[in-house]
Amino acid sequence: MRPSLHDAERRLAWLLLAPALLAVALLIAWPLYVIVQMSMRPGKALAISELMARPLGTANFDRVLHQQALWDAFGHSAVYTAGSLVPAFVAGLLFALLFHRAFPARRWLRSLLLLPWAVPGVVVSITFLWMLDASYGVVNAVLRDLGILSTDIAWFVDARTAMAAVLVPTVWKSFPFFAITILAALQSIPETLYEAARVDGASAWQRFRHVTWPGIRGPALLAALLNALWTFREFDIIYASTRGGPAGATETLGILVYREAFESFRFGTAAAIGVLMLGTAAIFVALSMRVLRREFT
Amino acid sequence: MLKRFVRAATAACLAAGLAATAPAIAQTTLEFPTWQAEEPGVSTWWKDLVAAYEKKHPDVKINLQQVPFAQFVKQMTVRFAAGNPPDIVHLPSRDFASFADQGWLEPLDARLARTDIPANWPALQSEMHWNGKTQGVLLMGYGGMLYYNEQKLKDAKLGVPKTPDEWLAAMKATTDAGKGQFGLATITAEHPNMVVEMASFVIGEGADWLKAGKYNFTDPAVVQAVDQWRQATGYAPKGTNSATARQLFIDGKVTFLRDGPWVWGALAKAPADVRPNLRIGALPFPVTPGGASNSLHLAAKTDAKKKEAAWNFIVMAASPEWQSRYALTGSPAPRKGALTAADLAAHPHLKVINDEAAKAHNLFPEVQAVRAEYNDFATLVTRAAMRMISTQDPTPAVLSDLQAELARQLPLK
Repeated sequence: MRPSLHDAERRLAWLLLAPALLAVALLIAWPLYVIVQMSMRPGKALAISELMARPLGTANFDRVLHQQALWDAFGHSAVYTAGSLVPAFVAGLLFALLFHRAFPARRWLRSLLLLPWAVPGVVVSITFLWMLDASYGVVNAVLRDLGILSTDIAWFVDARTAMAAVLVPTVWKSFPFFAITILAALQSIPETLYEAARVDGASAWQRFRHVTWPGIRGPALLAALLNALWTFREFDIIYASTRGGPAGATETLGILVYREAFESFRFGTAAAIGVLMLGTAAIFVALSMRVLRREFT
Repeated sequence: MLKRFVRAATAACLAAGLAATAPAIAQTTLEFPTWQAEEPGVSTWWKDLVAAYEKKHPDVKINLQQVPFAQFVKQMTVRFAAGNPPDIVHLPSRDFASFADQGWLEPLDARLARTDIPANWPALQSEMHWNGKTQGVLLMGYGGMLYYNEQKLKDAKLGVPKTPDEWLAAMKATTDAGKGQFGLATITAEHPNMVVEMASFVIGEGADWLKAGKYNFTDPAVVQAVDQWRQATGYAPKGTNSATARQLFIDGKVTFLRDGPWVWGALAKAPADVRPNLRIGALPFPVTPGGASNSLHLAAKTDAKKKEAAWNFIVMAASPEWQSRYALTGSPAPRKGALTAADLAAHPHLKVINDEAAKAHNLFPEVQAVRAEYNDFATLVTRAAMRMISTQDPTPAVLSDLQAELARQLPLK
């Protein structure tokens, strides 16, 4: 019996998908498999080949789950993620609403808006390290001149201010993503809806609540989900500015994994923490998908 | 005609290709990563040594690579763990034991027996023993140095301090944070050398936080010494790493810097109005803290030919000619008699450096279990140090917590 056109099309589809699937298998599935394997190999071995030869067990998970450092890092990651997501979202929304209006040089300024997002995390950290330097930073100097501060604050070295200090560059770098995403969504809202709302006597807040927000809600929530996932596993900005210090005050899960792997050379427990991070992110995505499905179907 | 032209062109291309590839095929390339490739003073020595070696061995090329110190040990550990060690292994000696404990380094006893190194190296070469075998050649043993800005002391009507109390008083008197002037430049951010800063005060005061094979952080003498260090950091800019601390001193913004003799070469970069005021002297402690700084090794699992070529490089570095040149950079050379009386007379700073190196007490842990896990030890001590810099928690409480954490994570038999 001759294969149907439908069968031939399906084979062609799989053939065309094959390179992508191979890339996914090599770059995502295989490393994931190795990480999960490593997490199940207890013991400290600096040679990965030696570690992978050990028998399987759950001692790595047992060790990390009984470590206070892990729970502290979970807490820091939650604070860091929420602490950057909300301000970045609000800032992005405000900039998007601003740039949706017509004013001179709008197109040129929109391009500038993207610049923070394009700057590498390490460069952002170094810049803010100098701006917030305790002794020679411009921020302390300005705050002293304005009479807000009487003594210098060691932003990155004081355990009370270090988390806020790493949040500032993180928000600065991530708000353009929200601004551009929401701006694109704003431009898809028909102007006639606003005209109709004005004719009906709707205030600015009512127009935002009943016209603007429903139009941008889907893309905004998707952007929030993506940004939350990126921030949850953030490493560059924190490590380059505080290395997770002082005294663990900014040690998030990403920093803890790095320290376990490359400072304590416990690759197995580092992999176990990585698996726990993956599980946490997966739960978060699963819960978010229920909301997102309502927006996009 | 055309055929003849094509034949000639093909022959010319083949000849050029063979000429270009022939030396590459025969040449051995040794990888040599180090944090000193761009360090003022000693980098010139390394580059000159590499050039001289390559001239003597035209079939060997050495690829000298700069790796920042803060990432150096991590990078080397990853390379060794991945089975890709460098050919010439240069290590901070404090980390030697953790590498040797993994079986990553080649025993050198047989090779050393054929040289004059055992007869001419100081007692500190014993730091290169691990599990009954010598696995490295000490490149520098040192005593900690006090760098000071003489003009700032004169302006404050102070002399060079001779005791820790005088030193702290001088730091206080020359600190004006509002004008960006500080009494001391020291590490006040998370950095591998934070432990060295704190240990310098402890060993310098004649105490020890590892005594008779046990943790001794709660000893009143240790607590007092750490408190002095903590007080000193109050006169230093916050968030500073070792490179920034050195730069602040070179720029004339601080009065004192505690560091190794290797900073001497960097002082040449000071502005013209600052350089004449920068001096070097002995630390104002009853005991000079110091130890083995760095050492050269061979990786156990490398190609035999490369191993032999790398060993020849190490032997060249240890030769009288190159040891003398090394000593003239300001870093104390391990070889006895590397400096002549004339050298010392011509360079007074070298006398101070070598005198302090000769009487230095090792500030790095000597307990085998701690040496093998130095990274973990240093991480926990650094965390306690940062807690003291960034909070108001009492020093005895912090050190007590540190000792408990060390006993839990790094138990000593």
